[in-house]
Amino acid sequence: MKTLVRISAAAVVALGLSGAHAGAGEPLEIGAVTPLSGKLSIYGEGFQKAMLVAVNKINAAGGVAGKKIRILFEDNQSTSQGSVSAIQKLINVSKVPVIFGPAASTNFLAVCPIAQTAGVVLVAAESAAAKISDCGSYVYRVFPSDALQGKGVSKLVNDLGVRKVALTYVNNDWGVGLADTFKREFIAAGGEIAGEFAHDEGKADYRAEVLRLKNYATTHVVNLTYVKEGATMLKQAKQAGFAPKWVMGSATRSPKFVELAGGAAEGVVGTFPKVAKDAAAFKAYAKAWAQAHGDAKLPIFGGYNYDMVMVVAKAIGNASAYTADAVRAALADAGKAYDGATGNKAFDANGDIVNATYGAWIVKDGKIADFKP
Amino acid sequence: MSWCLVEDGRRLAMAGGRSMYYVELLISGLASGATYALFAVGLTMVYGTFRFINFAHGELIAWGAYGLLLFMLPPLSLSFAAALAPALALSAIIALGTERIAFRPLRKKAAVTILIASIGASYVLRSALQLAFGGDLKSYPVAFEGTVDLMGVRVTHVQIAMVAAAAASFAALHWLLRKTRIGKYMRAFANNPDLAAIYGLPLAAVRIAVWVLGAGLAALGGVLVGLDSNLDPFMGLSGLIKAFAAVLIGGPGNVFGALIGGLLIGTAENLSTAVISPGYKDFIAFAIIFLLLLFRPQGLFAGRTGVR
Repeated sequence: MKTLVRISAAAVVALGLSGAHAGAGEPLEIGAVTPLSGKLSIYGEGFQKAMLVAVNKINAAGGVAGKKIRILFEDNQSTSQGSVSAIQKLINVSKVPVIFGPAASTNFLAVCPIAQTAGVVLVAAESAAAKISDCGSYVYRVFPSDALQGKGVSKLVNDLGVRKVALTYVNNDWGVGLADTFKREFIAAGGEIAGEFAHDEGKADYRAEVLRLKNYATTHVVNLTYVKEGATMLKQAKQAGFAPKWVMGSATRSPKFVELAGGAAEGVVGTFPKVAKDAAAFKAYAKAWAQAHGDAKLPIFGGYNYDMVMVVAKAIGNASAYTADAVRAALADAGKAYDGATGNKAFDANGDIVNATYGAWIVKDGKIADFKP
Repeated sequence: MSWCLVEDGRRLAMAGGRSMYYVELLISGLASGATYALFAVGLTMVYGTFRFINFAHGELIAWGAYGLLLFMLPPLSLSFAAALAPALALSAIIALGTERIAFRPLRKKAAVTILIASIGASYVLRSALQLAFGGDLKSYPVAFEGTVDLMGVRVTHVQIAMVAAAAASFAALHWLLRKTRIGKYMRAFANNPDLAAIYGLPLAAVRIAVWVLGAGLAALGGVLVGLDSNLDPFMGLSGLIKAFAAVLIGGPGNVFGALIGGLLIGTAENLSTAVISPGYKDFIAFAIIFLLLLFRPQGLFAGRTGVR
């Protein structure tokens, strides 16, 4: 009888030990709020794949601090409400200390106060709104803020030798913020805005907007908008016999934009955060992508998603423990030391990256090409 | 002295540009107004005959527009011309079905009951549309992108078609209501339903005529809007608001008042974009609804009710 008790006790201890051991081998879980359905899902799938390329690369090299990492993806249906419920689940049910935030600045801004209040590290890969800088001490991004892109657009217009433009921008956090920084920079550089207004997202009819731009009678129009909105507007402008030189931002630098706008996109110029494609880090990303996905083209913003995972993994590796505060404390040094596929990721006090260079693009013969003003 | 001339010349050119701007806005406004008038016919006729505002009317606009897409896409892959009639018919069938299932059983109930039933029907129809076609913007596989130059103003073929379709439809409606037997029955029921019933006039035929005509014209307007821009599952909702404002201007039940109402709203909201941000264009229709309901709910041109 005694023996039986002893054996049982030993078994219980053994079970307990093996349980603890399994705990040590459990992967570190990072949350991600990603648009896997809804209107941004055409991008979301690429974001997810790029993040997973980074995860596989890290795990193949032995993981972080002896553990593998795993991303828990939550779909946000491309909406702010969906993003809020997704992040609530990740914080309260999955209890992850680090979360990769959703695309689209408006969706990201909807969740950043939640992460900040809960004390969870939130990282953005492709949200550009200048307002995100004010989100709080737990919020970081690996994508340059529009405070930088606004300067880029202003510089491009100046380089074109244009002193007076009409301005329109999409009426959301991203558009308004970008237009504000552009305006400030452009006027400070001696430029003049002949007229400006915001336009709504997702409309089918932009004729009234187009006629108003036409009435401003400038040679160049700065139009800071998205793919679909931009394509519709340019098409309707062409129909109305209005053919200015359009200057746009990085969001329309997409073959889809050229396809939807048809001939109306020819000659459009714009800015974009430039990535050094001959840098070793970019080549490493492209190689890892090719190993996983063969000849499939690199997804839009894929490099930023890849870098986001890499830099966060580095911070987790350097952190004293896998907690939000320890990872946050380690992020500054990890960013400074990380030269990624999309450049160096040194963060400033607001969690914004410090280094970004802007290039210019042009639509030429129906293709997007590099542009030198 | 010479710089003065240059300055004056430029000022003149700018003044020319400005007046042209208003002409462009006016023409855009007339074209959109023509579609609002097409939307409004069914809404005002249903009110005139059955005394309720059908909040599901917008969905007949959207289903007409998407119906055309349905018949143009595989497996049917009809041409635009061949798909148009079935699309209008689909919208008419949906109207008759909604009437049979949702409205007729409630006809003895208070007006507010039918009103709420129509709001419910609009949700069902709109969700069905989203379920079938998705929530994203869609466009027809054909495009009519030609333009003509009308005294220096570019007008698209679709805009011309909008005005022509409204003109032809209202001319036909006028003939139908004045010259044909069914048109006279329709006016009789609108004028005094009890008396018309005592005389043994055919209510069933009038009911079908009102719903088919209203839905068909709404669908035609929806197709034109779809050709002009894109298809959006919520297009019916904005169409309904414009139609409602047009009906209120014309006086509920007044078919030709709705034509004038539609044109007024179209031009007013487009001209307004010269002074207010174009994003707030829809505000004009809401403001008109608000002011008319407050001060003149019988409409600007109204005397009595009924289909006139």
